[in-house]
Amino acid sequence: MKVVIIDDEQHSTNRILQLLEPYKNKLHIETFNEVACAIDGINTLKPDVVFLDVQIHDKTGFDILKQVDFLNFSLIFTTAYQQYAIDAFKFSAIDYLLKPVTSEDFESAINKAFERGERNQLSDKMDVLLSHLSSSKFSKKISLASIKGFVFIDIDSIIRCESSGNYTYIFTTDKKMHTATKTLKYFEELLVHHEFFRIHNSHLINLHYVKAYAKSGFVTLSDDCKLEVSVRRKEHFLKACNAILK
Amino acid sequence: MKNILTLVFFILGNYLVNAQETKKTLDSVYNLIRSMPVKDTSTINLRNDFTKQYLFANPTDSTLLDFAQYTLEEANKIKYYKGVVLAYERLALVYQYSFSNPYKALELYYLALGIIEENKTLQSYKWGILGNIATIYYEQEEFYKALNVFKEILQNNNQMELRSMANIANIYGSLGMRDSSIYYYNRALNHPQLSGNFMYEANLLSNISLIYQQNGNINKALESIEKSLKLIDSFNIEFVRPTAYANAAMVYLSNQKYLKAKQYALEGLQLSQNSGNLFMKKSAWGTLADLYEAEEDYLEALNAYKKYAVLKDSLNNQNRRVEINRKQMEFDFNIKQTFANVELQRQKTIKKVTFLAGAILLLTSFIGFILYKRKQEAVSKQKEAEFSALVSDTELKALRAQMSPHFIFNSLNSIGDYFTKNDNRKAQEYLIQFAKLMRMVLENSEQNEISLGEDLKFIDLYLQVETKRLPEKFDFSINVAEDLDTDTIIVPPLLLQPFIENSIWHGFKNKDEKGHISIEIKKANGFLLCIVEDNGNGRHQAMSVKKSFGIAITENRLNILNRKNQTHGKLNIIDKPNKKGVRVELSLPLEYSF
Repeated sequence: MKVVIIDDEQHSTNRILQLLEPYKNKLHIETFNEVACAIDGINTLKPDVVFLDVQIHDKTGFDILKQVDFLNFSLIFTTAYQQYAIDAFKFSAIDYLLKPVTSEDFESAINKAFERGERNQLSDKMDVLLSHLSSSKFSKKISLASIKGFVFIDIDSIIRCESSGNYTYIFTTDKKMHTATKTLKYFEELLVHHEFFRIHNSHLINLHYVKAYAKSGFVTLSDDCKLEVSVRRKEHFLKACNAILK
Repeated sequence: MKNILTLVFFILGNYLVNAQETKKTLDSVYNLIRSMPVKDTSTINLRNDFTKQYLFANPTDSTLLDFAQYTLEEANKIKYYKGVVLAYERLALVYQYSFSNPYKALELYYLALGIIEENKTLQSYKWGILGNIATIYYEQEEFYKALNVFKEILQNNNQMELRSMANIANIYGSLGMRDSSIYYYNRALNHPQLSGNFMYEANLLSNISLIYQQNGNINKALESIEKSLKLIDSFNIEFVRPTAYANAAMVYLSNQKYLKAKQYALEGLQLSQNSGNLFMKKSAWGTLADLYEAEEDYLEALNAYKKYAVLKDSLNNQNRRVEINRKQMEFDFNIKQTFANVELQRQKTIKKVTFLAGAILLLTSFIGFILYKRKQEAVSKQKEAEFSALVSDTELKALRAQMSPHFIFNSLNSIGDYFTKNDNRKAQEYLIQFAKLMRMVLENSEQNEISLGEDLKFIDLYLQVETKRLPEKFDFSINVAEDLDTDTIIVPPLLLQPFIENSIWHGFKNKDEKGHISIEIKKANGFLLCIVEDNGNGRHQAMSVKKSFGIAITENRLNILNRKNQTHGKLNIIDKPNKKGVRVELSLPLEYSF
């Protein structure tokens, strides 16, 4: 199995190498600290797993991804504290490790990567990732990890999300329901910046699809679904609605 | 033919004894006054006096109307109310006698009365005008109305006593109530105001003789008419002469003094022919017919009767025309009155509606003002509350921000401590764990509140990391009551950490046996009770030097939270007896995110 580590700081590379120590018998490991070399390396080496730093000198790991021809590998980003990048990773369901990397986080990430499943649909995930990194206002997507694999849907097409234990049902404008293997809280944290609002312990709604709100505390969405707004959220909910109208 | 009543009305004063003579003087005065500019009240008084005199001298001169109208306008202009009242009265007289329009006259009299009502000083003019009104009623044969007014005047006004009595007597005469009529004529004849007023006396005597005659008191009738004729001859009272002659003819006839009766009837006929008075003429021919019949001169009687009949027919026709005219005028007047009433009603309604609308408007604006003020107060209160909330938030944020570096410095101490005791490899793992903790501190301190679960995750990691550093010194336990939903309960972040840190750093110093920190979270009396308990040295030894910076910050945060949310979170630091450690109880209001 071929592993590529791309980082411009040697101590970070060393940390990954140290954590890969237990597996080194069955691995072929290459390291790069320049964008240009890394692109060539990936194209020729066709690795199975790539550890990619976000900031590489004056360029980014995203520049490398845009330029490589080979995209059939498990990708793990490494980053110190770049919130914008972390949100983008979450939207695209691309794995990432926070530096300094703890051994527990590393083990769970590398095991997923070895399962090979993660490399599927990488180019689709890349599109989602890059759309969130660009400042364009084009409709942004979200990668949903479901039991069968990944689906990519427009954030604007999500009407609401409903919690079901550790899963979340996502209802879209094409009248489909998707089951995602993440908690509602996870989606709340991601989507709250896209004018979604958690009205209830079990419900996260897209405020753009609110059709009516009754003082009794029930909100009606464009698909005629009627949901209760919990008492503690009413005031905030009304404020959020007003903010959108402006 | 005894039903003929020849009564003369008493509207005229005593000026017109010789109308023909006065007329000439008046004509020249009229031209003079008309050319005079109207400047002051005395001119208006002059004009009003003149109008009345001229009217009875020249009842057919229609230019008098314009003259009276102009007087009225000028009096109005200078707001000379006495002048206005008199001008109205004169105008009414002109309408009444020159234009035979009693309804227009009535209207004007009432206008005059209206002004009198508003000006108490003009009260004395009221009775004269009422007298004129009553005369109109009398002419319109509304006898009882007329009677009531004259009686009222008689009771209230001394100056008009004579005139009122004479008129009351006339009215009773017209009504056929002869005894009453005679009574009032006698009262009038004995009235002191009559002395020297020979025309009035002659007229009264002439009238009372007619009533006596009708009543069958032939002697009294004769006596009265002879007195009257005597006065007429001595003072040349031409005004009363025709009626007196007519009455005299009838009285002599019923006294069977045919010669005298014939003489007066013929003279009366002559007078009435001169004046063109058909009524007198008819009366004369009627008396002559009776006379000839009594003298058994039937041819003459027939001839007189024929003339009488023709005149009667023509008079009846004339009366009918007058009647029709009267009805028409009455009808017009009623319509006018109706319109006036409707207009009056309309004005009243408008007034009422205006008043009501005004009141409603006033009330509405008053209520509106109160509501507006209340709203303003509410808004300013809310703004104040929002502002103080903002201040609190800012203060809390500042305090939380102080937590991060505080934690970092203490962590650096831990790391340094660890390095001196362990190998590099282990030290690196430890460092990386601490990095993760620090990330959590940074993230959590950004939030106003986090879920209890997240806060506990941090505490757990923190205690794990610290036990790794001090494996011999202490262990820990975290107990969360099962009825707590750690995902929905929200707490301010990092409230407990300073107390735990305090226990680790100070609680187990200089202690040989292994210590224990227990964290317990449960519900108590509707509060979330968080307990940090150790079995260390106790506070006296540990805290004597200085109060922990972290604990001070937590106390401040709790105070601000209480103030901001109107809650009663409490912090109790209890020293366990026998220096067996410290128990910190932090009770927070139980809050849920949903």
